[in-house]
Amino acid sequence: MSGKRVAVIFVGALALASCRGSDGAAPQEGAGGIKVDVGVTSEACPNAVDKAKGCIYLGTISDLTEGPFKTLAVPITDSQKAFWKRVNDKGGIGGYEVDVTKYVKDNKYNPQIHNQVYQEIKGNVLALTQTLGSPTTAAILPDMKNTQMVAVPASWTSLWGFEDGVLESGANYCVESMNTVDYAVEKMGVKSVMAVHNAGDYGDDAAAGAKIAAEKRGLTFENVTTQAGQDNQGGAIDAVVSKKPDLVVLTTGPTDAAVIIGQAAARGFKGRFIGTSPTWNPGLLKSPAAPAIKALYMQSAPWKSWSTESVGHTAMRAALPGVTPNDGYTAGWVWAYPLKAALEKAAANKDLTRAGVLNAVKQLTSVDYEGMLPSGAGNFSASPQDALFRQSTLYQPDDASPTGVTLVEDFFTGSTAKDFKFEKPCYQ
Amino acid sequence: MDEFLQSLIRGLGTGSIYALLALGFVIIYKSTQVISFAQPAFMLAGAVLVSYLSPAVTFVGAVVVAAVVIAVLALGVERTVLRPMVGKPVFVVAIITIGVDVVVRVVTNAFIGLDVRQVGDPWGLNTVNFLGAEVQQRYLVMIATTAVVTAALFLFFRYSRIGLAMRAVAYDQEVALAQGVSVGSVFALSWALAGGLAALAGVFVATGAGVDQQLWIVALKALPAIIIGGLESLGGAVVGGLTVGVVESLFGTYQNDFAPWLGPNFGLVAPYALMLLVLLVRPYGLFGKKEVERL
Amino acid sequence: MKGPKTIKGRPELYTSYGQDMAFLNTRPKRVSVSGLVVIALLMPFMITDDLLQLLATGFVAAIGAIGLNIVTGYAGQVSLGHAFFLAIGAYTGAALSGSETGRVIGFGVTSLPIWLLASGLVAAFFGVLVAPVAVRLRGLYLAIVTLGLVFLGEHVFKEWTSLTGGPGIGRPAAVPELFGVRLDQSNSVFTAAQMLYLLMFVLLVIFGVLARNLVRSRVGRAFAAVRDRDLAASVIGVDLTRYKVLAFAVSSFYAGVAGALLFVVNGFFDPGSFNLLLSVQYIAMVLIGGAGTISGAIMGALFITLLPRITRELPTVLPFISGDATGVITVFQVEAVLYGVLIIVFLIVEPRGLFGIWVRVRNYWRTWPFSY
Repeated sequence: MSGKRVAVIFVGALALASCRGSDGAAPQEGAGGIKVDVGVTSEACPNAVDKAKGCIYLGTISDLTEGPFKTLAVPITDSQKAFWKRVNDKGGIGGYEVDVTKYVKDNKYNPQIHNQVYQEIKGNVLALTQTLGSPTTAAILPDMKNTQMVAVPASWTSLWGFEDGVLESGANYCVESMNTVDYAVEKMGVKSVMAVHNAGDYGDDAAAGAKIAAEKRGLTFENVTTQAGQDNQGGAIDAVVSKKPDLVVLTTGPTDAAVIIGQAAARGFKGRFIGTSPTWNPGLLKSPAAPAIKALYMQSAPWKSWSTESVGHTAMRAALPGVTPNDGYTAGWVWAYPLKAALEKAAANKDLTRAGVLNAVKQLTSVDYEGMLPSGAGNFSASPQDALFRQSTLYQPDDASPTGVTLVEDFFTGSTAKDFKFEKPCYQ
Repeated sequence: MDEFLQSLIRGLGTGSIYALLALGFVIIYKSTQVISFAQPAFMLAGAVLVSYLSPAVTFVGAVVVAAVVIAVLALGVERTVLRPMVGKPVFVVAIITIGVDVVVRVVTNAFIGLDVRQVGDPWGLNTVNFLGAEVQQRYLVMIATTAVVTAALFLFFRYSRIGLAMRAVAYDQEVALAQGVSVGSVFALSWALAGGLAALAGVFVATGAGVDQQLWIVALKALPAIIIGGLESLGGAVVGGLTVGVVESLFGTYQNDFAPWLGPNFGLVAPYALMLLVLLVRPYGLFGKKEVERL
Repeated sequence: MKGPKTIKGRPELYTSYGQDMAFLNTRPKRVSVSGLVVIALLMPFMITDDLLQLLATGFVAAIGAIGLNIVTGYAGQVSLGHAFFLAIGAYTGAALSGSETGRVIGFGVTSLPIWLLASGLVAAFFGVLVAPVAVRLRGLYLAIVTLGLVFLGEHVFKEWTSLTGGPGIGRPAAVPELFGVRLDQSNSVFTAAQMLYLLMFVLLVIFGVLARNLVRSRVGRAFAAVRDRDLAASVIGVDLTRYKVLAFAVSSFYAGVAGALLFVVNGFFDPGSFNLLLSVQYIAMVLIGGAGTISGAIMGALFITLLPRITRELPTVLPFISGDATGVITVFQVEAVLYGVLIIVFLIVEPRGLFGIWVRVRNYWRTWPFSY
């Protein structure tokens, strides 16, 4: 190839090079004197209530087809669509409406795919209204920090308490399990605790909390990890049956939990099981393990279930007519409140840029959850130790309830959680 | 001793599920020399289908209908997707079956919905006293069913005309063709049989707690089973499946006391370790056919 | 090297064996390869960062696929254990370059050439360890035994939390630092995506050329002999054990290198990544690209890496599919099904893979306008 030809190609390519879009938009003045940059347009949303308003785009990255959390992810995603539609119906935020339908992506619960779809949409959205899973979210965390992206996690790991841009709600797995153990000590008089859990921050976090509480209370503690898969629970069942703990803190998937409870009971185990919210599925009440589940199982929850009477719960049920009740809807709805509060605060500050929203988050001292969480929840301005929300609830199986569980213990803080020094993620 | 017996029977129970799956793999392998990675999807589809049918036509009826429907589905897949690939490199065909698996599984997932589905079997978790140990009825049912199915398959291959044809194709495709055996229908039938077996296995897995999206993972346990048994041997598949089940179960019960250094849940990968050991001694599995090498 | 003269006007007339076996033996090859390289080098200035990251991942996958192709496509030993060797490389690289004070093992050696080479060598070492078992086995037995490696390896990596961080928690990936410049952090001149893209491209070219040179050497011919008829090969004096072990070693070296780089773009990985699915993806890359060709492996790797992106773009042109997450048919189910369907259709239409399509196109135009 002659040098001249190379030069021609090179110049041509440089001319093309100008086509490369940039990832960040320069801040500009939007409606009502609000400063905006990425993910906010003056054009109306695709399904706008008021076509005159501009649009704030929020992204959703969730587990929508093949992954293990699809049965929670789909209702969470739908619930958040309904949540933001209600916000729009009530007049939107600062002269803008919010769209959560255009940038919805499937992560298949795989960190690499999660990062890829995040890269695809990040130039078009102001914040993420859902990023499901902890390993998946960990894969995008460095980039979120670089771009000052604010995100709502769909998981309850204690790591989020230390991340400024992550808007977690309710008690994390760690605190929830501490309360579980405290409750079991006081109300059931348990002397020994075993944590049966999936590996990873979900199970490890809960197990760490249970361990902290057990040590504080002077109980014997046993730690058993188990893998997902109904045929893979043999080791866990053997451990439960042979060690006979008074209380098993369970953090697995629903079918795995049913296998463990059912088989352990069938082999004569008489202790109690208490699981966390992702451990539960209403379908278990029809499974062969149902008698054992009703006899032995309770579950902790970071907030109250679908059929509770509160302003927020009622609004949620009204916004989601005709769905099969599932606490995935409740979770999605609750999680959206802090982001709404942050956007409102940012709009009031006249700064709906990425930096502006992150700033607004740091100014939030409490979030109005419309009664779905007690007042004082949603403090994002204090240190992790002060901001940590320490109340959780307890439920037990009940055929009559739409989501299969009924309230046993309203929001409470156990003594372990009350004194707990929250200095690093529990599982580390 | 009770503990041992219980663990053994649990192992044989889950092992019989693996055996059914392994039989499917081996039947397809023998006739087409292909490992079908679509088996997990057929297994899941079978369980989901039963969960829909059993309220209407009782559990047993549902299982029969589902096994037939999945067999027909598998046959259809073979006719449309695999038939054009006859004579093509087997690993290319194996990758195609992965494509089939993805498609069937995603479509099936859409029918699972948000709640765990139940297959409605009559046994639940009831136990029965067996040789002095409390064992679950469903394990005994699984073992018995697998024994019956295996016996039926042996008789089928031994005495029926088409079974004979299948063995002929497995032995030498071209010669069988020359003798007037319809190799195409043998391929189709082997897929159908494997599909039906997978559906049955799926239902058995789901008897414990129900059907969710992740059920398909169980099918991977059949891989060490077929290698331990030997790829060409139906008897080997059954022995391999039962071995995998028992090894898993015994490791689950005793490993924490005897070999905690292997790490928790080693029982789940113990079949693979066993597989490596078996192959070090017998490179073609316990009952596999040693290839005759000619120049 | 002073080559024999070519006759003017007869560019494809070879007068020596050396010419025939040359690296780029025809003029069209030389032109098209240099064209592709120029285009690839200009890409970072033309397309957006998300695509660059995807392509960078594709290039790394291509290095891994070339490695698998050496053992599977050239030497004929089908290995489903590639994920295991990728994992060895990934953890060697991440541990060597990781921070010494972090919660997982790290030695703080951030210089890219050092940890990259080390990753490859450690993986190659494991390849040599495994090879003696593999030498005894053939075909599907070998495939499934190597699959056993993946499961056993997964178990070890899940339990060894001080190295891997544990499943679901994971650890940071290797730190790419070259001549004191962090390539995964944007600076005033380039963005991180641009630098990583260029890095991966350069590495792909290096490893691609090395592999091409290996397979057109005596060793490569021995591999092919083993693949085509191992008994015959041993009769004519090819040491089967030696070449099978060599094939595994080289292949694992490539896998180690690819594994170390694979998660650099992401910056994070967890031990759950190295499963059966990953191995199968690499086999698919080799087969879809066309077994036994370097360019095929590269095409296959890019195809498999880009396929999810393609399936995500396709539904936007099919308006009847709802974007709802709960509809009867959702856009995400369509994406997932398309992934399967495209693989099926592709392999049915052209079992020789992308390389086969390329050969058909080339042959058509070579004799144009008299092709039929």
